[in-house]
Amino acid sequence: MGFLNNSVLTVDAILTKKGRELLAKNDGTFKITQFALADDEIDYTLYNPTHPSGSAFYGEAIDNMPLLEAFPDETQIMKYKLVTLPRGTAKIPVLDLGYAAITIKQGASLAITPQTLNYLGAASGFEPSGYTAIISDVRLFNTFTGVGVNTPQAQALNVTQTIGTNVSKTVVGTTFNLTATTVNTLFGSNTALYATLTVTGRDSGARLTIPVTVTKVN
Amino acid sequence: MSFKRLDSEDFLVSADSITAALFSGNIATQTVFFTSSVQEAGASGDYYLSVYQTASSEPTAEVQFDLAFGEKNGSGSLYFNSSVPGKSPSRTVYGQYRTLVLGNENAEFIFGNATGSAFYVISLERSRYKEKLLPGSFNLTLTFGSATVRLTDNSGDTSTITYTDSGRVFQIVSGSNGRAYTGTGYTVASGSFGLFLPDIGTVLLNAKALDLSAANGGIGLSTGFNANTDDNNNRKIFNAIKAGQSFTLNSEETLTSDYVYIRGRNQEFNYSENPSFVSGSTGEVLYGDFINNPQSYVTTVGLYNDNNDLLAVAKLSRPLQKDFTKEFLVRVKLDF
Repeated sequence: MGFLNNSVLTVDAILTKKGRELLAKNDGTFKITQFALADDEIDYTLYNPTHPSGSAFYGEAIDNMPLLEAFPDETQIMKYKLVTLPRGTAKIPVLDLGYAAITIKQGASLAITPQTLNYLGAASGFEPSGYTAIISDVRLFNTFTGVGVNTPQAQALNVTQTIGTNVSKTVVGTTFNLTATTVNTLFGSNTALYATLTVTGRDSGARLTIPVTVTKVN
Repeated sequence: MSFKRLDSEDFLVSADSITAALFSGNIATQTVFFTSSVQEAGASGDYYLSVYQTASSEPTAEVQFDLAFGEKNGSGSLYFNSSVPGKSPSRTVYGQYRTLVLGNENAEFIFGNATGSAFYVISLERSRYKEKLLPGSFNLTLTFGSATVRLTDNSGDTSTITYTDSGRVFQIVSGSNGRAYTGTGYTVASGSFGLFLPDIGTVLLNAKALDLSAANGGIGLSTGFNANTDDNNNRKIFNAIKAGQSFTLNSEETLTSDYVYIRGRNQEFNYSENPSFVSGSTGEVLYGDFINNPQSYVTTVGLYNDNNDLLAVAKLSRPLQKDFTKEFLVRVKLDF
């Protein structure tokens, strides 16, 4: 008879940039009410269900891998969430933006309405809490807003102004409206500008990143 | 589906006492002591003498504590203005600590069972002791000539803690590690050797007790009480500490931590949105085995508010396997 390990695993948490911001605001929004789990860094192709030594060794390449420390940037961590689905699920919820890549002319507009496939037993559907969209370089668009989710947080994100720097911008909605920049000087000698658009389902945790190209008109 | 709400019983607030060596470099006992001639000659030198753990010119030099002398009538130091008797740095220091410790301009300092009108101050540098001093860890050896006295606070002999305006107060007695060698550890004629005030990081040493001869329990320090005269008392107590070559003190800090218990039931969190978990753009799981027996690996715990803002994040040291036969319990510690 051996001793069972009854100790509770303890890990130290760090505040994210967003957490520090909300803590500093002291307006009651820094209140932990829910959690999610993620498997960032895991490559499931390392899992080997045909391992010659048997099932105890299927995950040996993953089990002892060293993990990186946490990043405080909330957009760079918790990328791939673990989800609760009924046993026997053959398809995981995935996002469909209607585009594998976006190429848009200078000054043109585009509306994106994401859908979630394989969600809540339906082939496709919309998530009740909407979607989060992050454009990696906010300068590429004169307009980058989300509509359809009317929480104060979502509305506040839409009116946030960031001028002159190549930082990302996050908005929340069920539809995202984009209008490409009309500023020629941004292109320099290039004929196109590049960025990425990352959309995450706020309920399912499904996530999709696609490339975005803005082409110069004249 | 990917978020799980926390219940009130998932939160725990814990306040733990953390103790540490007080002096720079995590040294519990400081044996060498240095001053700065620049500081001593400056305006602050009239009031206090800063003590370093190494030569003050060294890049690693840090102030460990300051020494000051207070006297009720302003003796032992030069008057600010010779035409205004009694107003001097020693009088200022006395009044400063009387207000701080006693909170009453008419009160007298009581050292054990004797009233004292003069004291030496050891004011510990705030960054050294963080929050407060640890009672029972104060051990100071003072040597003057051939006389030596070993002092400690009497927290180990005290069953009832006494409070002043500056928090807890313990008597400083002849002894070690919080206990007197014999009896109360006081001197016969001048009461205790001073007051240990852990909550304000201060030690007051009773000048009269130290001035007693070795036969009477003191070290014959010869504190100067001359009017309108710089008797250099700060230097005298520094020399006694330096000659004693032993000053031990620990700090104490109360660290408040929020613990959040993260519980994943056997039915939960068994599938993943990780792109390597699926084999194609339509979401089929990577292996046929994963349909009825999915294996997920937890590496990261995210704590969210109601708006799904990621407030805090914790990483595990290695991936933790999760499937329909396993449950998951992690305690996440949040320090502020």
